[in-house]
Amino acid sequence: MLRITGGKVYDPANKIDGQIKDLHIDSDGRLCEPTSEGRSIDATGMIVMPGGVDVHTHVAGGAINFARAMTPEDHRRTQAFIRTKTRRSGLGGMAPTTFATGYLYAGMGWTTVNEAAVPVLSARHTHEELADIPIVDKSTLTLMANNEIMLDQMEAGEYERARDVVAWYIWAAKSYGVKAVNPGGVAAWKWGGDARQLSSPIEGYDKITPGTIVTQLARICDDLGLPHPMHLHCNDLGAPGNIKTTLDTLKHLEGSRAHIAHSQYHAYGGDGWESICSATAQLAEYFNTHPNITTDAGAVLFGDTVTITADGPWQHLLYKLTGRKWGNLDVENETGCGIVPYTYRPSNLVNAVQWACGLELLLLIQNPWQVFLSTDHPNGGCFWRYPEIIKLLMSRDFREECIKKLPSNIKNKIVLPEIDREYTLSDVATSMSAGPARALGLKQKGNLGVGCDADIVIYEQEDDPGEMFAHPRYVIKGGEVIIEDGEIREAPDGREYIARPFYDPATNDFMRPLFEDCYTMAFDNYPVEMERVHGASIHECKPGDAS
Amino acid sequence: MGGKVTCTLGEVKQRADFIIYWGGNPAECHPRHFTKYTLMQKSKFLPKGRKDRTMVLVDIRETKSVKASDIFLQVRPGKDFELITILRALVKEQHVTDAQIAETGITREVLDDLVARMKAAKFGCMFFGMGLSMTRGKHMNSAALLTLAAEMNAFTKFVAMPMRGHGNVTGADVIMRWQTGFPFGISFNRGYPRYNPGEFSTVDVLVRGDCDAAFIIGADPGGTMPQPAIDHLKRIPTIVLDPHITHTSKLARVHITTAAQGIAAPGTAYRMDEIPMPLKPALKSPYPSDEEVVRRINEAIAKKPFWIPEGSMPQMLTEQV
Repeated sequence: MLRITGGKVYDPANKIDGQIKDLHIDSDGRLCEPTSEGRSIDATGMIVMPGGVDVHTHVAGGAINFARAMTPEDHRRTQAFIRTKTRRSGLGGMAPTTFATGYLYAGMGWTTVNEAAVPVLSARHTHEELADIPIVDKSTLTLMANNEIMLDQMEAGEYERARDVVAWYIWAAKSYGVKAVNPGGVAAWKWGGDARQLSSPIEGYDKITPGTIVTQLARICDDLGLPHPMHLHCNDLGAPGNIKTTLDTLKHLEGSRAHIAHSQYHAYGGDGWESICSATAQLAEYFNTHPNITTDAGAVLFGDTVTITADGPWQHLLYKLTGRKWGNLDVENETGCGIVPYTYRPSNLVNAVQWACGLELLLLIQNPWQVFLSTDHPNGGCFWRYPEIIKLLMSRDFREECIKKLPSNIKNKIVLPEIDREYTLSDVATSMSAGPARALGLKQKGNLGVGCDADIVIYEQEDDPGEMFAHPRYVIKGGEVIIEDGEIREAPDGREYIARPFYDPATNDFMRPLFEDCYTMAFDNYPVEMERVHGASIHECKPGDAS
Repeated sequence: MGGKVTCTLGEVKQRADFIIYWGGNPAECHPRHFTKYTLMQKSKFLPKGRKDRTMVLVDIRETKSVKASDIFLQVRPGKDFELITILRALVKEQHVTDAQIAETGITREVLDDLVARMKAAKFGCMFFGMGLSMTRGKHMNSAALLTLAAEMNAFTKFVAMPMRGHGNVTGADVIMRWQTGFPFGISFNRGYPRYNPGEFSTVDVLVRGDCDAAFIIGADPGGTMPQPAIDHLKRIPTIVLDPHITHTSKLARVHITTAAQGIAAPGTAYRMDEIPMPLKPALKSPYPSDEEVVRRINEAIAKKPFWIPEGSMPQMLTEQV
């Protein structure tokens, strides 16, 4: 039982924009009708928002754990959490350890995170890592767009079969939805190839193209009634001129819901590294006229980070460009994975364009319910740097100051200097919480209405939004005060959201021989057992829910 | 240099038409590797199985694995690093002198042939064992081989993977990494994890006599570590969890018999490609599992005062000291 009184509330889901309002929380950790019981927090003069929701991050599983192994030099120079009687130790930095991940997210007011790329084969590992991330609630997306068993069904024109296979995999992984990464391109990478545009058949197949996969997989997600639409990492990530591929991809998605991941990496004009320029205006225009599609920025911040993605061929290219360490892990039948440490430098023209593109998309897409705060952690920058992005969005003057540090020949390559828009607190609350929660189909999140989860962040109003958002005065998760006066007070375990889509029960028998052909573990050992998922909350999918 | 270009074993089973084992003897140490993953399996890409694959073995002596190989390269002991470096040069068509090649014990013709085959492969995979990683050059040898695999990707698809030891070494690596950021050689003595192999590795801590107690699980250091380390284990209270009597259990102050993982206790083991495999016990055991014992010890310790006094340390250091 808890009351928060006198605060200025920003709750976009209920169209509350800075009004003074009291919030009441019941003993189940949900917002409730007024009550006079329990502790009262006086939030007079403070700002109250729903806890942050990260729609796209990489915090647990084989890939980030590979990145941890590859960057010991960074662990040595970053934040360290010291063990206490109730809390575990950990390290922050580019690829934070699990316990630190929970403390860092919560410490910044984020209370829900979506791990955006999980191979089914190692999903058991991902769930075990997630169980070691305290405080925040979690969900995961299964990598599907290069799954050869599914691709074979599409090649044979067996749409229903492909749909059942996808549903079977989601339930086997105990995940929440579908992630598509470089459709067809990662499958081609298994032979060292790639798929950079949508209309040619992918390597090893006669008929299906990346375009086929995109269209059919988006439809499958809708037909299964998944709470979150297909979460797509488009083909041709990071390449100059890739705006053509991105717009072509969006055309293939017409009529379906979709979430486009880290669109900053897919919004470039030009035809080479010399001529690369921002094409965010074109991409934003598409979003502005297509309200059914959402995206997250994948914004870039200058500094050191480590890039991790299922996009194996892109990482090989990045390794060749940088000459730095390269990790690659191809996963049988399912997907790939690549890891390359990277430093974004303001003096580097390409990096400067990338930095501008992320902010441009966040500012040019008019509806904050369509574009969400993300860095594609850790790819564009670490999640604990989100307050820096909020500051850039809220202050045109600060942006101008930063633009001055970019190379002078960037002038005609970006549109950021011409953008006057500044985020309001309501825009921030939408982009960091209400919007991503709605896109994920998590109705009880990002919303301070009665009955929703009492995940709340309270800020002391400050002139510098960077400082204000980095150091909330209170963070409440499920009704418990987690952070108070800059200190972690409690570190309870979070929940994990999983979705159960329907599939023909005969799919099991259909899968078994195909599975035994290409996998190396026993079929019966493959699906993650329910007891391996800690704090599971199951969403029963109903076909037709997604419209 | 650095990193690792690898894949899961199913990729090898499905696609690898060219396999190199370096410094290992899978026929005796990983007896099912050939049949389950690398040589005997047929796939849609390699319909003829063994006939569609070429296997190269590099080792300092003839082992039972030679019989399974198509090509055997007997490298002079301690010259692995040199041989890998020469291969990296030859792959890039850089000049290598005859004297440099002669040092490795292999002829130029054999190496030229090997490089041509590597480049002509559709999917190459290199497995390396302790004959490479634990002999002269140690981790430098592994790094060189991993780099060769990475560089081969300029020509064709190539990956590399270490042949891990017995037990669940990989699982320990994986979990230490997600909890602390580091795979081994970790010190918690400042309340947060620090890493320095050579200083904080178990053997170094024991040889220096830095620790005043030892808790050993899933390992038998009494059989493998140098004498000064073993002597220290004898001096301090050593607690061993093991289903069997081992060298270490014999010198330990306390030996708690536990159920054997995968036979009488459930759990998870990570395969050498870091894929978690669930263990389903076939038998019942009168002994508790390792997990059960550790949990109970942990509960008992939780009742004692905490070793870092409340409020004596900040919650977080922004910079480590």
